[in-house]
Amino acid sequence: MTRLVDVEVSADMLRRACAGDECAQSGIYSALAPATFALIRRLVGNRTLAEDLFQDTMMTVYQSLSAFRGEAPLGAWVKRIAVSKCLMYLRSPWHRARLRLAGENDEDVQIQPIMLPASLGPKAEALDMERALASLTPTARAVVWLFEVEGYSHEEIARSFGRSISFSKSQLARAHVRLREWFDPRVDQQTCTPI
Amino acid sequence: MHTDIDQQKEAVVRRLRQLPDEMRPPYNWQEFQRRSRQRTTAARGGAARSQLARGSETLDGRTRRYAAIAAVLVAVAGGIAVWSHIAEFEPEPARIAANGDPDLQLSAARSTAIEGWLASLPREPAVVHVGTRAAVAGLEDRIAQVDDLLTAVRLDRAQPDRLAALQQERVRLVGSLAQVRYAEVVAAGSL
Repeated sequence: MTRLVDVEVSADMLRRACAGDECAQSGIYSALAPATFALIRRLVGNRTLAEDLFQDTMMTVYQSLSAFRGEAPLGAWVKRIAVSKCLMYLRSPWHRARLRLAGENDEDVQIQPIMLPASLGPKAEALDMERALASLTPTARAVVWLFEVEGYSHEEIARSFGRSISFSKSQLARAHVRLREWFDPRVDQQTCTPI
Repeated sequence: MHTDIDQQKEAVVRRLRQLPDEMRPPYNWQEFQRRSRQRTTAARGGAARSQLARGSETLDGRTRRYAAIAAVLVAVAGGIAVWSHIAEFEPEPARIAANGDPDLQLSAARSTAIEGWLASLPREPAVVHVGTRAAVAGLEDRIAQVDDLLTAVRLDRAQPDRLAALQQERVRLVGSLAQVRYAEVVAAGSL
């Protein structure tokens, strides 16, 4: 498994792809597609939407390939494009309209925790985590993923969302509370002490 | 002081980072190329249409007002059309009352009626708009989640109130889906 930022392709392949060699373009697609789709899926959740944004991202990659200067790995450059596409969607009026139509708001997504037996091994653990991520609001999911996994700072997240740093911090804190509750429903429940 | 919370947080972060870095992409290179061509063609069509629109941009204030009123009327007519179409699929009240809880039966029947009408719509328009598709996909996801919960509650047989609430939620979601699909089909000119 390769992280998107670590995906590199040879200078020769890049040059041929820019010159229109379909074989090289297809090779770049094979190298980038799995990690790019995983990143987009984690950021936006919904599969259909992720497919659309993936298509959009890859089209931009091929359209701008000649502008890639090779100062960082190709994957890091593609990651920036993918993240920017996802955040653009999350900020868009379409996304707000979709939430309204679905009767959701950015505060409330209800998926019931169903923990899979630990005996199923790491695959079950990954599935649990995927479901826990899906239980977060779209914004909180993107913030927690960017901060904890992709290594974005609060300043960068705030800038990307066009919001304040405290917005990023509060989204992250809320996401953590929700994830902790998911794995242990007793967490963060206030108890009353009899007087 | 918050050792437990910190440990739990660390465990969650560790789990997040352990998630696979790759997923099977939705399609291969050939399909990607086909979709890219499709999008480029659609975008060119859209650009040509907007150029035409810019050319005829001589609407005065009154014409624009009429256009806005017409748009509102079309939206209202769309809503009425959806519900009148659905009425054709409505089950007979006598048959509903004959079986079990009438409220529950009525909302289940209404949901079935809307789904019957949805099934009569063309599957997918030729020109797909990302926003509308996302709305449809989101609603379909929510309906699937409610269906999962409904199955669990039905098996449990201990929460009739929750069952009724979920059933109503399902009718509301299916109703919203019908409206979005109707608007999509009308916009694509397939109806």
